[in-house]
Amino acid sequence: MKGKGRALVRLLAVQGAWSYERMTGVGMGFAAEPLLRALESDEPEHHREATARAAEFFNCHPYLAGLALGASARAEYEGVPGAQIRRLRTALCSPLGALGDQFFWAGLVPIMMSLALVGVALGAGAVGLATVVIGYNVARLLVTRWALWTGLETGMQVGTAISASWLPRAAARIAAPAGLVAGLAVPVVGAWLLSPVAGPRLAVTLLAAGATLALVRWGGARWTSLRVGLVFALVVLLWTRFAP
Amino acid sequence: MTEVSFAVLGLLLVWGTAVGLDLVSVPQGLLSRPLISASVAGWLVGDLETGLRVGAILELFALDVLPVGASRYPEYGPAAIGGVLLAAGLPKWDGVGVGALLGLLVAMLAGYSLEWLRHANARDVHRHSAELDGGSTAVIRRLQWSGLARDAVRSSAVTAVALTLAWLARAQLDGAVRMPTYLTPVLVGVGLAAALSGALRTAGRGRRLAWLGVGLAAGVVLAVVVTA
Repeated sequence: MKGKGRALVRLLAVQGAWSYERMTGVGMGFAAEPLLRALESDEPEHHREATARAAEFFNCHPYLAGLALGASARAEYEGVPGAQIRRLRTALCSPLGALGDQFFWAGLVPIMMSLALVGVALGAGAVGLATVVIGYNVARLLVTRWALWTGLETGMQVGTAISASWLPRAAARIAAPAGLVAGLAVPVVGAWLLSPVAGPRLAVTLLAAGATLALVRWGGARWTSLRVGLVFALVVLLWTRFAP
Repeated sequence: MTEVSFAVLGLLLVWGTAVGLDLVSVPQGLLSRPLISASVAGWLVGDLETGLRVGAILELFALDVLPVGASRYPEYGPAAIGGVLLAAGLPKWDGVGVGALLGLLVAMLAGYSLEWLRHANARDVHRHSAELDGGSTAVIRRLQWSGLARDAVRSSAVTAVALTLAWLARAQLDGAVRMPTYLTPVLVGVGLAAALSGALRTAGRGRRLAWLGVGLAAGVVLAVVVTA
């Protein structure tokens, strides 16, 4: 199928027109355009219908959108009925969203950023950060490419291909290393950020940390860490201003 | 105080726009993480160390955020750039806390700008529903590019607000008699708790929680060894 390279590049911006109405639908339609172009001259009516389907409501993890995009594009060329392609897209939304959120947002990103924090605290500086960013983006590109290629190769069988792939196993297993690295980062970064201080300032840090954990864990959804930080900061500013 | 030229301010604005686009639109490649955006900002203003420290505090807060679906969440990337500009102009230890506080404030406000963007995109898509349902590739292209352009404008506006607030605060705090000495340790403490809270939520129970405990124990040992 022609247009795979351009579709891959466009997938990097699949959330470029994210909206409450169609979510990533417009981005999917934009990425599908190069893949569906061959239909335009031979079957213009089918091309219009396929393009409209590609831009309908869709939502999943952006890195995995290529699975649905590739599968539905292949199905269009195979002449699969439109209603069946719609059902495939709908069926893929939740699993691709859940797997992607679990693996990337709750796993790989915290791992990479915790490693970056540890690296900075141990003196790796800008080189350490650049290594993390480059490494992550190489992985991100490889996953995006794998997703599109797998979708294009398997078409309507994409669900079976996803089940048999590395993705579900990796998503289930990534929480343990994510916890390990995040746990490692917290004391190391804390020691680095507090290294010029001891005594009362250290006590203030521990007090703030304990109070925050208690509020965030048991104080209800209203107490996010950001809000706690702002409230505590306000107390410090007022104390600085009015204390004798 | 680190002097910053208008050329550097322009570069910070461009960098903040790229960082804002990275969060949702393109390419979602970690540029919007506060540690990364603040470090580059620190390098641009000639104070990498301050960039790393402000970025590290805000990154601890960001580790507590799960950016899923249509939820509203803080945007730390462009906010961190303003925080670095402010902190680079203040005494080292206290300045990091003041910069991080500005970053937190702008991050919260920037979260609302993401909602505005999603609604603006939805209105645009709604206006062109008929053409979309008719399979118009020209309309899809136009909607996609206008969505990206809208996010670029939003990102640069958020960065501009962060930089303006930092600039005004620098002028106010320059030569201030009393700096908020306890701000940095308080925000470090809240940040550490935020990162731990995020890790606890992800770990859940059982063996995963045990791995978090192993990491914490190893981290304490490493911290003691490094600081000894």
